[in-house]
Amino acid sequence: MPEAPDVLEETVTVEEDPGTPTSHVSIVTSEDGTTRRTETKVTKTVKTVTTRTVRQVPLGPDGLPLLDGGPPLGPFADGALDRHFLLRGGGPAATLSRAYLSSGAGFPEGPELRDSSSYGSLSRGLGVRPPRAGPLGPGPGDGCFTLPGHREAFSVGPEPGPPGGRSLPERFQAEPYGLEDDTRSLAADDEGGPELEPDYGTATRRRPECGRGLHTRAYEDAAVDGGELTDERPAFPAVTAPLAQPERAAWAAWTGWCGASPSVDSARAGGTLSCLRCWPMRPPTCNICALRTRVSSGVYGSCGGCHCLWRCWTTRWAEVRRRACGALRNLSYGRDTDNKAAIRDCGGVPALVRLLRAARDNEVRELVTGTLWNLSSYEPLKMVIIDHGLQTLTHEVIVPHSGWEREPNEDSKPRDAEWTTVFKNTSGCLRNVSSDGAEARRRLRECEGLVDALLHALQSAVGRKDTDNKSVENCVCIMRNLSYHVHKEVPGADRYQEAEPGPLGSAVVSQRRRRDDASCFGGKKAKGKKDGEMDRNFDTLDLPKRTEAAKGFELLYQPEVVRLYLSLLTESRNFNTLEAAAGALQNLSAGNWMWATYIRATVRKERGLPVLVELLQSETDKVVRAVAIALRNLSLDRRNKDLIGSYAMAELVRNVRNAQAPPRPGARLEEDTVVAVLNTIHEIVSDSLDNTRSLLQARGVPALVALVASSQSVREAKAASHVLQTVWSYKELRGTLQKDGWTKARFQSAAATAKGPKGAPSPGGFDDSTLPLVDKSLEDEKTGSRDVIPMDALGPDGYSTVDRRERRPRGIGSAGEASEKEPLKLDPSRKAPPPGPSRPAVRLVDAVGDAKPQPVDSWV
Amino acid sequence: MSYIPGQPVTAVVQRVEIHKLRQGENLILGFSIGGGIDQDPSQNPFSEDKTDKVNGWDMTMVTHDQARKRLTKRSEEVVRLLVTRQSLQKAVQQSMLS
Repeated sequence: MPEAPDVLEETVTVEEDPGTPTSHVSIVTSEDGTTRRTETKVTKTVKTVTTRTVRQVPLGPDGLPLLDGGPPLGPFADGALDRHFLLRGGGPAATLSRAYLSSGAGFPEGPELRDSSSYGSLSRGLGVRPPRAGPLGPGPGDGCFTLPGHREAFSVGPEPGPPGGRSLPERFQAEPYGLEDDTRSLAADDEGGPELEPDYGTATRRRPECGRGLHTRAYEDAAVDGGELTDERPAFPAVTAPLAQPERAAWAAWTGWCGASPSVDSARAGGTLSCLRCWPMRPPTCNICALRTRVSSGVYGSCGGCHCLWRCWTTRWAEVRRRACGALRNLSYGRDTDNKAAIRDCGGVPALVRLLRAARDNEVRELVTGTLWNLSSYEPLKMVIIDHGLQTLTHEVIVPHSGWEREPNEDSKPRDAEWTTVFKNTSGCLRNVSSDGAEARRRLRECEGLVDALLHALQSAVGRKDTDNKSVENCVCIMRNLSYHVHKEVPGADRYQEAEPGPLGSAVVSQRRRRDDASCFGGKKAKGKKDGEMDRNFDTLDLPKRTEAAKGFELLYQPEVVRLYLSLLTESRNFNTLEAAAGALQNLSAGNWMWATYIRATVRKERGLPVLVELLQSETDKVVRAVAIALRNLSLDRRNKDLIGSYAMAELVRNVRNAQAPPRPGARLEEDTVVAVLNTIHEIVSDSLDNTRSLLQARGVPALVALVASSQSVREAKAASHVLQTVWSYKELRGTLQKDGWTKARFQSAAATAKGPKGAPSPGGFDDSTLPLVDKSLEDEKTGSRDVIPMDALGPDGYSTVDRRERRPRGIGSAGEASEKEPLKLDPSRKAPPPGPSRPAVRLVDAVGDAKPQPVDSWV
Repeated sequence: MSYIPGQPVTAVVQRVEIHKLRQGENLILGFSIGGGIDQDPSQNPFSEDKTDKVNGWDMTMVTHDQARKRLTKRSEEVVRLLVTRQSLQKAVQQSMLS
């Protein structure tokens, strides 16, 4: 056996599987504190017979092995177990010195990523892994914890600092010991024996999260599942399959090492976690399971569980990594934000991002992005995620999976987007963080390639007619959020501000179609209209010439996006997507700048108005609301206003009527929606006699009056009265109205009670993840604040607990957590979905409660 | 009968089965409902009929919206109601007495 510390040659006895030749780097720290980093080529030979020097490590009363400072390299001399425990600290002597133990080296320290090297070396020794019955997952099917070279992905980083004398005990336990240990390790509270499921069975503490395991992989690796990691000893798996001696020894050593805390719950947690910490070598199902259970009890943070997990991440053992990721994801799931805060405090976000960069295992990537999705529903973490993860998420996931190419090859066909789970999770995460305010929006807009990639992905979705999936929903929501306040926030917006519409720029943009100003509804010609309004000059949409293609955030407001959004509105059946697309149009049409003017006109020219009007018939409240507000903003364009007044009035009035007396089952609208519709009506009847006539023709007045009288909501009543007041202001119509039996009192009475300028604007509370869509029109800018819901005022991202509304990580749509991960989902998503409050309806105007709400009756 | 909030109530119920009509693409029942625990009972616009169950769904603790939804489920063509009304109660009591 090698004597020299820096000659690492080991022979691993593999019980079943042939070893995989690997090379790895090990860092050996001699006892005197010097560190050597050695690269070793390992040649493994398969031996079927193992002769080992077995040393029974006597355990002290406290469970710690009594170290006798065994011969240096003694164990190494042992063919099988050498290098097993390469201690950072010691040369071959790698003895688990009690001093080390007592010094408490290391554990409660910061993220132990730097220990990866030592883990690496450990794992080398544990080259053998009991064969796994189940698939190992995307990793190399080595079935063992070998150190595949490629696992180096995130292996040792820069040499860790002075090793805290972290030594790994080089104790091997004889097989008999192992067996005995099994019994012993099953502490009283261990319910189960070895778990054959990957669902970490800490039997006692089996919790739902625990149950799932990272993957529903059929790990029948008997060796792995094992008892629970108890305090004193990690559950030694009841290895039925031959567990490599080295592993067992390692296990035992670790056990001893970690040893010892009295079995108290908190101590157990601490002990468990510390065991976990030093346990990078094998995929400790039990460990992670135990960890998870602890997590739920909130011990996680305080025990520095994150450290453990991160250490696990850096391990070479794919399974450990995956499980650690899964555990972390479970942790991050749920409405309880303590765990998320704990993850943040441990520096989890940067670690996750690093892991994402480094990991090639798709499952790990899914888990990591899922965790980030969950975390992103937690308000304080949003900016943190942006800070650390935006670039990575964009470049590692969004851009590649979207099919967008930065430097498109002219000849090649544009690639399609790949709707992977990783993409879904990442888009979900970005959706959440994009709702975090102006700064967040700015960062996302300016992130290179993000907007381009998202648009490309959406266009690819439309092209393939695959617009109902969750990833598309997420992307559209991001686009909507980023479109919010573009007119104020993008660099150079000032240039485009218009106090009043002026003539457009001179040049003709080649791509623009020069259309006649044909109304999308049918042949109304704009020329006939003497409107002196903004868009008079925009009949033929002359856009300023672009010398180069727009890119980045500029794409947000190019008129080309109109077609995209309209396609989504036409094709998608996903209500969230519809809402978001309408919201994007709403956001883009707001604002007093040139691009908004273009957008409004483009919507009309692209025959978008009928699409929107038709969506007013939707049964889904939020869609109706978003569309109504979009129409309202679009009607800032005079021509739009006329068209909308003519063709949309019937639908709008119908919605009002539904609000007052639902004629159809299930047609009762929410207050916010009704207020949005009323505001839209108000917008289009203001300053337009024709539209007001349309309102009368659509029998809107009775509906409005009835609503004022019967509505339980003060806001609705106010908004309706406001409309009535405006109607009354047209003297020409008073005759007609009085002839129909309406008295002035009807119109004025409500108005008298209506305070506030614009009725009760409906801010349109939106889900967390989406920005408030409402962006009042220009005129309302001053009072617009009422309508604009500050994003921060929105409740937690409902998104977080996405899917499943629990599923987050899995994407909201995906089956969520249930499958493997815990059904946490931050939001609806699975697993730790972000808290998913569904919608915090922000009421800007407090409903001053009526003492007795009017009785409501419904027609069924 | 008088209800004491929080106390269990016994009531005489009548089973009513209604087949929904088809009006256009909707299934309607053809009557209006009012009330719900979120409504003010003193302003109940309708008669004293109270619905206890609809197709097995409990209606004693529902809001107006929930009640409406349960009655108007698209998937159910028939609603079986358990209604109770005071006059019914009185009639039964009288018949039991006599």
